Amino acid sequence: MGAAMNRGKVRGHAVALAVIALVSAGCGGGDDVNVDDPGGDGESAGSGAGDNQGGDGGTLIAAISAQPDQFDPHKTQAYASFQILENVYDTLVVPDAEGEFQPSLATEWTTSEDGLTWTFTLREGVTFHDGSSFDSADVVYSYNRIIDEQLANAYRFASVASVEATDPQTVTITLTAPTPALLDNIGGFKGMSIIPEGAAEATDLATTAVGTGPFTLEDTGANGVTLARYDDYWGDPALVDSVEFQYVSEPAAALTALRSGDVHWTDNVPPQDIEGLEGDDEVELGVTPSVDYWYLAMNQTKPPFDNRDFRRGVAFGIDRDEVTEAARFGAATTNQAAIPEQSRWYHEYAPFEHDPDQAAELIGANAAATPQPMALMVTDEYPETVQAAQVIQAQLAEVGVEVGIEQEAFATWLDRQAAGDYDAFLLGWLGNLDPFGFYHAQHVCEGTSNFQGYCNPEVDTLLQSAAAETDQDARKTLYDQAAELIVDDVSYLYLYNPDVVQAWAPGMEGYEIRADKAINFETVRLPE
Amino acid sequence: MTRYALRRLAQSIAVLLGVSVLAFAIMQLVPGDPIRAALGQQADPATYEALRERAGLDDPVPVQFVTWIGNAAVGDFGVSFRSGETVLSLILERLPATLSLAVAAIIVALLIAIPLGTLSALNPRKPVDWFASLSSQAGLSVPDFWLGIMLILVFAGTLGWLPSSGYVPLTEDPVEWARHLILPAIAAGVSSGAILTRFVRSSVLESLGQDHVRTARAKGMRARDVLTWHVLRNALVPLVTVGGVQLAYLLSGVVVVEYVFAWPGLGQLAFQAVESRDYPVLQGTVLLFAVIFLLVNLVVDLAYARLDPRITYRSAR
Repeated sequence: MGAAMNRGKVRGHAVALAVIALVSAGCGGGDDVNVDDPGGDGESAGSGAGDNQGGDGGTLIAAISAQPDQFDPHKTQAYASFQILENVYDTLVVPDAEGEFQPSLATEWTTSEDGLTWTFTLREGVTFHDGSSFDSADVVYSYNRIIDEQLANAYRFASVASVEATDPQTVTITLTAPTPALLDNIGGFKGMSIIPEGAAEATDLATTAVGTGPFTLEDTGANGVTLARYDDYWGDPALVDSVEFQYVSEPAAALTALRSGDVHWTDNVPPQDIEGLEGDDEVELGVTPSVDYWYLAMNQTKPPFDNRDFRRGVAFGIDRDEVTEAARFGAATTNQAAIPEQSRWYHEYAPFEHDPDQAAELIGANAAATPQPMALMVTDEYPETVQAAQVIQAQLAEVGVEVGIEQEAFATWLDRQAAGDYDAFLLGWLGNLDPFGFYHAQHVCEGTSNFQGYCNPEVDTLLQSAAAETDQDARKTLYDQAAELIVDDVSYLYLYNPDVVQAWAPGMEGYEIRADKAINFETVRLPE
Repeated sequence: MTRYALRRLAQSIAVLLGVSVLAFAIMQLVPGDPIRAALGQQADPATYEALRERAGLDDPVPVQFVTWIGNAAVGDFGVSFRSGETVLSLILERLPATLSLAVAAIIVALLIAIPLGTLSALNPRKPVDWFASLSSQAGLSVPDFWLGIMLILVFAGTLGWLPSSGYVPLTEDPVEWARHLILPAIAAGVSSGAILTRFVRSSVLESLGQDHVRTARAKGMRARDVLTWHVLRNALVPLVTVGGVQLAYLLSGVVVVEYVFAWPGLGQLAFQAVESRDYPVLQGTVLLFAVIFLLVNLVVDLAYARLDPRITYRSAR
């Protein structure tokens, strides 16, 4: 009873917002709705009351745990920003829930025989939120902006020689080397979004957005943002009228808001709360394995961590089950390699059974001191690294390594990592889809993310050939071989793939929790 | 009076300059740089260098400082490294939320402190006094983080009376604004209230013992009038000082309370600026906090003269 009343309250709020949205959209918005109706695909007929079409989808209120830094898709690196931008922008291709790339702004694509020329056919009839129509010039402009201005994702175009508009509906990407991971590079996340030609000069993309996605970015503020359904969206229009994202950092506040009906959806569910929520009727809990992985890396430019056998000793000394339990309260799957079991690129390889005797032997034979000190750098930005470090400290103490935990603010952490000022660190890589993303930059000798200083020419050869191998099965074989060497050499000491944990209001339909943590609200229908 | 005001102004500018230099210097000493913080782990060296240069971080530190202070003097506080927005707009966006919370919290504090402090002073070493000192001790020692979460769980969760978190601008919906404000104001106001209770108690006690109060009583004035006109008015002077400091503290952001209640205030802004090494925002907020403290102090000093006619401000010479 109480819950029903609360929902009534939310709806009242939603109507108020919808009114504001309509007023701000002006008459044009109303016209769009009407024009859309006859051409609709039965979706509208299904919802019954045909006369009140524009305003009964309601406002979905989502509480996200972190705050976006900005809304320029090409500049931000913050997951919180992408949670919102996911609903506002599109990429040429988009991963489905299994991580396979599907058409989005591009409807089809072909690759030349030599793998050096990719031709994308663009979708027709797509318009940006400012009303302008989408064509190949927008793609060229967007990609060249990232490349020319050396923005954060420029590295994804490392093998791209040119991006050209062959005709308004065709884009040709020419490569310097075959790049089977190209689809991941241009569509893996919304950092590679297509913006209208000249948008960066014409508008302030940090605070406004001109996308082609199912929602428009209406209002940004210090406490949240509001999105409104884009009625001219090229796909099926969103079912809700608008989405309000609120920034709620404190999990207790987020869960209370969810229970009382103030919000419909949240990702602010710490793993330790999962157990308590499982039997809770007021909350729908979603848990699914993610494509993220967490690992320990040792500084291989420094003795004794440069010694392969020493690192193998550490690997034998760690009990992943215990670490996972402490760091994630079990909401994770232990893994001795990077790629999770659900991926088509998964390769089962687990040579390091927890074996304290062998660990002590390898460490004892190769350590520089007894016990061997090891400063383990962690960051409060990711509390699970702190929790994992405490368990690892206890485990390694038994095999002759004295771990000193160094907890740093993330900005300092990153600085020390870049300067090589550490013995070991714990961190994760998030949102990986293609094995190129899992392995390349981290493990080739000159890799831009190879902070641990790993160098194995054999791995280099394998990764380089895999990066250029266009036959997917042959490519997987190469990555499997490289992965085994990376694990054996303990370039990274892989620990686990965490679960994605989200919670929403019972009765909210059409939401799909995804391994890559992409959040799409256009298919969601609010509870009655 | 004019000379006094001028001297205060000159002092203030010197203080502000000193604060900026200190804030700038301290940020340079802290490890970590803004570009790396913005790029995260995927810091491609070429991108890193390009962004660093664009942000002007390759210039020598004194040059950066002089550029910044020169722009700040004409009202240009720069652009946030993190969000790309101007520092001024970021601060102005959060100012209403911070003002609402600080004023509401100081009201909560006074509503606790004045009755409780006065009652306990009027009944020294009686149960009311013990209750007052016990509860002010408790108010001081309860972490606001814990208090905030408890308030949420009880009043938003179990009872469902108030929203659990978030902020609604006053201009948008005054009722929702007030409803959202109550719990954070209590969480932020309780510790100030506890501090102020002790001050009220001691200054009322002190006033009670003064000659003019004894005279007023002796001439047969009603106890209530003595309290209002002779005791409380005198007791207000120290309360204004301490209350002013508490208000300035609340205005410069209560990070923890803002965090717990998802309150978009200046404290969160400054905290994020530190976390992401966002120098322009940090400089801007630090400067603003310094201005707030100076202004509040000035108001407090001027209020003295109103409350206590014996205090006047004249030039020293």
